[in-house]
Order: sequence, then structure tokens, then C-alpha cells
Amino acid sequence: MEHIYREIHRDPRFHELERKRGRLSWLLASIVVGNIMWYVFATAFYPEASFARFWGEPIGEGMATTWGIVIGLIQTVLFIVLVNYYIYRANGEFDDLKDAIVADATRTAGDGK
Amino acid sequence: MNKTLLTGAPLIGMGASLGAFANAAGAMAGVNLNAIGMFFVFVIISLGITWWAAGRTKSTSDFYTAGGQISGFQNGLAITGDWCSSAALMGIAALIYSTGFDGLIYSVVPFGAWPLMMFLLADRLRNLGKYTIADIVSLRMARVPIRSLIATAGLAFVIGYLIVQMVGAGTLISNLFGLNYEVAQVIIGVLIVVYVAFGGMIATTYVQLIKAVLLLSGATFITVAVLAKFGFSIDGLYAAAVAKHPTKEAVMQPGGLLPDPINAISCGVMLLFGGAAMPHVLMRFFTVPDAKQARLSVAWAATFIGYFYLLTFFIGYGAVAFVMDDPKFMDEVTGAIRGGPNMAAIHLAEAMGGDLLLGFISAVAFATIVAVVAGLTIAGASAISHDLYANVLRHGQATDAEVVKVSRIAAIGLGALGVALGIAFKDQNIAYLIVLPFTISSTVFFPVLFLAMYWRRLTTTGIITGGWIGLASAIVMLVVGPTIWKDILGNPEPLFPYKYPALFSMAISFGTMVIVSLLDGSERGKREVALFDDQFVRSQTGLGAEGATQH
Repeated sequence: MEHIYREIHRDPRFHELERKRGRLSWLLASIVVGNIMWYVFATAFYPEASFARFWGEPIGEGMATTWGIVIGLIQTVLFIVLVNYYIYRANGEFDDLKDAIVADATRTAGDGK
Repeated sequence: MNKTLLTGAPLIGMGASLGAFANAAGAMAGVNLNAIGMFFVFVIISLGITWWAAGRTKSTSDFYTAGGQISGFQNGLAITGDWCSSAALMGIAALIYSTGFDGLIYSVVPFGAWPLMMFLLADRLRNLGKYTIADIVSLRMARVPIRSLIATAGLAFVIGYLIVQMVGAGTLISNLFGLNYEVAQVIIGVLIVVYVAFGGMIATTYVQLIKAVLLLSGATFITVAVLAKFGFSIDGLYAAAVAKHPTKEAVMQPGGLLPDPINAISCGVMLLFGGAAMPHVLMRFFTVPDAKQARLSVAWAATFIGYFYLLTFFIGYGAVAFVMDDPKFMDEVTGAIRGGPNMAAIHLAEAMGGDLLLGFISAVAFATIVAVVAGLTIAGASAISHDLYANVLRHGQATDAEVVKVSRIAAIGLGALGVALGIAFKDQNIAYLIVLPFTISSTVFFPVLFLAMYWRRLTTTGIITGGWIGLASAIVMLVVGPTIWKDILGNPEPLFPYKYPALFSMAISFGTMVIVSLLDGSERGKREVALFDDQFVRSQTGLGAEGATQH
């Protein structure tokens, strides 16, 4: 098995896959962590901080719904969408590329196991 | 019949609703036949499944991973079952009922753990793991010290979580079903042992799956009924909540629940990173055939769990609108909500659908607890039999049959321990105990897994030094913190000022692991660093990963 690992490690496409998938993962993960931190800080520093103050204001004249509720709902939906977008990319193009790399490396390494 | 009811047990940070409520006769008025009937149907079906599963549970792989044969969709539902404890339904509603907007922090923040697991952990976990999270780390590290650390932390996690669930279950059930507390403990204990010891992961998976479907349908039904009362105007619901709640507009605004910014941030860190590395959830990633299905499991789980959390935005405020001030749900003597704030969601079910919906939701709550405890028990049993027995004690020389046997004994032992602890902690304030598993998870499991998968220079010495120091610091800070040192032990001032130590213990653990690994010049350390490339290729491609076993 080790020599196939080495073979894959030599394949420039492997590093391209790793870079592409990694970039997407870290981008999406930082969006999520950023949103969560915004939520936590807004709760912690309400109402003093400017990024938190509007969370308690109604979204419209005479309405009870506040921006905080709307943001919470949007964040939850956003996370569901991001997860499903990631799997669309990962189980599609990234896995196709991965399968090609593994198939070539297994063939080059010769024993198929 | 006068029982002391412990409220807030199943949820973190339930400061608002802690303390023992003297529960008047009202809640115990009688045996709830609808609820018992429906729970009985659940038990019969789940025992049928266990009997079927027992015939298919022969090897260790069957026992812990259902032979790796569960599909992504099924596993996603089962993970939803593992994740959504009754705290998620009743605890969040209780917090919104008492403190309003801030209760939603327990919906949004823990949910953030799901996208994180998807982007950073899921495929690598599946590609590197076998039965437990210790397998992932021991691929390039020294087996015995790593497994001793992870199994010890894992058992502390499981036992802390188990006590919270068992005590919460006992009070809930004596309240809902009119059953005796001790009887409820024994029923749960026996069911768990039967599911886990005989049916292994296959039975546990199906129990979780059924429970998730029941929970999602029950919550959907309540939400639709609540919104229908306002002609499906969401703002109409919130306006009614503002009109009813004593804090008026503040019920829709942040602030009030967490004492200060440091505690708030520490609590957020604990929920986010602790939630992303819970062993009983992560071990479910090994029940699917490959990384593709592991990602699918997470996608389904995140979709269902996210949907459930969206419903909490309506159920919590629905409880304010329909339960608050209704004399039917208030205690005649104290004037407070009957059974404590934790009963808000249950009362709401009665307000929306009468006895039948009350019975259904009560049965769902019972099934929920049973299923979550089953998931915890199988995680604890795997730490004992696979990590401690097979790898530490027998150095990998134990046969499959021996490991399965030890697993079954461990499941029976954990079931008995759960009942014993449930009875021992009866009527005690145990809400602080849920902070323990989440703190352990964010202090030990998350840093170890993250660094092992992403950081080349990590060594065994770094992990065990950082892991043990982190674990010890977390426990010490919890013990000398405000909850235990001041409130429970009665000392005037806590030695450590914050309720949630995760921010500090996680920094200690991460920092120590990094520094000690960098200073580690040993031969073993160099070998472990050299093995990173192979592990990295495997984690990215799944080549050499544990496959599904065929029957």
C-alpha cells in the first residue's frame, strides 16, 4: 500500500485536488465560524456594540419580529445550503478527480492492491 | 403524592430554571394512558428490530459499525436521532419561555458544528477510522498511551452525559406517565441493555432512525398547529408572544441569559467545537461504506437537524403565546408553570392537540431519551472493549469473539451504572454535569483529531501531554468554578470566575500539544512525523480505508 501512497503523492493532480478541496473547505468553514462568532458576540455585547444593537430592532414599522430572529433563521438556512453545496462539489468533481488519480497510481504501481 | 421535580436538568446553562420545584399533585394527576400506549408500540417495534438485528450481529465490525452497511440517508437520520436529545426539544423551548431570544443560542451555535464537521472532519474521519475516534489518531501514533487518554476522556464524557439523561428522564417520565422515578430508571436501563448488548449498532441505528422520524413529525405538527392559529403569519405569532411575556419587547431581543462576555464566548466555543467532536456522533461515520456516504450522512443529518432547529424558533415562542398565563398549565399554589419551564413544549402540545398530541409528544420524549442513552452506551462500550481491552490490555491479540463478548458485558455494566447513577443523583441539581461532556469534547477530542489530521509535526508525546493537562485543567476549573465550588459546595467565592472553562482549557490543550510536539526530538516522534504523508494520502483518497464487510 505504501508505494501507491508515494505514487499518489508524486502526482501533481493530487496536490491540485488537495488545494482546491482545501480552499473550498476553509472558505466555507470560515463563513460558518464568522457567523457563529457574530451571533455569540451580538448576544454577549448587546446592546452596547454597534454590530449588535440593531439585532433588537423590529424589521418593520409596527412589527414584532426583530432582526435578531431573522438573522438566526437566515444563518440556519445558510448552513444547510452550504453543507449541501459542499457535498455537491465533493461527491461530484472532487471525487471524479480522486478516482482518476487513484486508478492511475494503482496501475503505475503495478500490483493493483 | 408530592414529588420534587428537578427542572432544567437536560440542558446547558439553564440558570434561569434551576432549582428544585415542589411539584404539586396536578402534574401527577394520573397515569397517561395515551402516552403509555404509544410508547408501548415503540418498545414492541424496537424490540422486534433488536431480535432481527441480533441474528446479524456476529463480528466486532457488526457490533460497532453495523458492518459498514448503513446507507448515507439512513445514517443521516440516525445521527439526527443521536444529536437531538429531549433537551433540544424541551430545553430550548424552556429557555425561550423563560428568557426569550437568548434561548436560540442553543439552536444556532450547536448547529454551526455540523457544517464544520462536514468541511473539516467527515471524509478524513471515515477514511482513517475503524470503530472509534482513537483509531484515527493511533494510525501514526503510539497505540497504548493514545488509547488510554482517549478512552478515559471518552468514558468521562459518556458517564457525565449519561447521568444528565437518566436523571432528566426519570423526572420527565414520572411527570408525564405518572410512573415511579425508580421504575422509570429500571425500564430505561433494561431497554438500553437489550438494544445494545444484543442488537449492537444495527439495532441502535434503527432505534435512532425511528425516533428521529417521530421527533421531526411531532415538532412539525406542533409548529404547523401554532402557526395555523395566526393564519400562518409568523409576525402574528411573535406579536402574541410579546403581548404575553412579562419582559414584553425584550423577549425578542438578545441579552440576559449569559452573565458576561467571557462566559458567552467560552460557552459558544464549547458548543461549537465540543459539538463537532462528540464520540457517540462521530462513531456513526464508520457505519457507512465510504467517504462519499459519510458526506451524504452529514448532509442529511445537517438538513434534518437544521430543519428541527428552525422549528424551535416557532415552538419556543408558541409556548410563550399559548402556555403562559393559561391557568390550566399553572401551578395552583406557586402560580409558576406546572412541572417547571422544561414542560413548556409538552404543555404546548396539549394546548394544540389535546390529550392525543400530549400522549404522542410524551411518548416521543421517552423514546428520545432511550435512543440517546443507547447511543451513549454503545460509544462507552466501544471505548472499553475496543480501545482499553483489545488494544491496551491485549495489545491487539484478542479474538473477534472475545471483543464482542467484552462489548456485551460492557453494555450491561454501563446500563446498570446508568440506573445506579440515575437513582443516586435523583433530586439533585445536575445541570452543571452537561457542561462536563461538552468541555471534554472541545478540550480533548477536537484538538487531538484536528491536529492529528491537519498537522504534520504532531507527536504522541505532544498529544498525551496536552491531552492529560487539558483534561485535568478542564475538570479542575469546573470544580473550583462558580457552579460547583460556590453554589453546590457553599463556598463564598469561586476560585475560578467562569461557569464555562472551555475557552481556557481548549487553549491550554492546543497550546501544550503544539509546543511539546515541536520540542519532541525523540526517534519515535521523528517516525510519527515521517508517517504523515502516507496518512495524508489515505485521508484524502480513502485508499486503504476500512471497507464494508459482506454478509
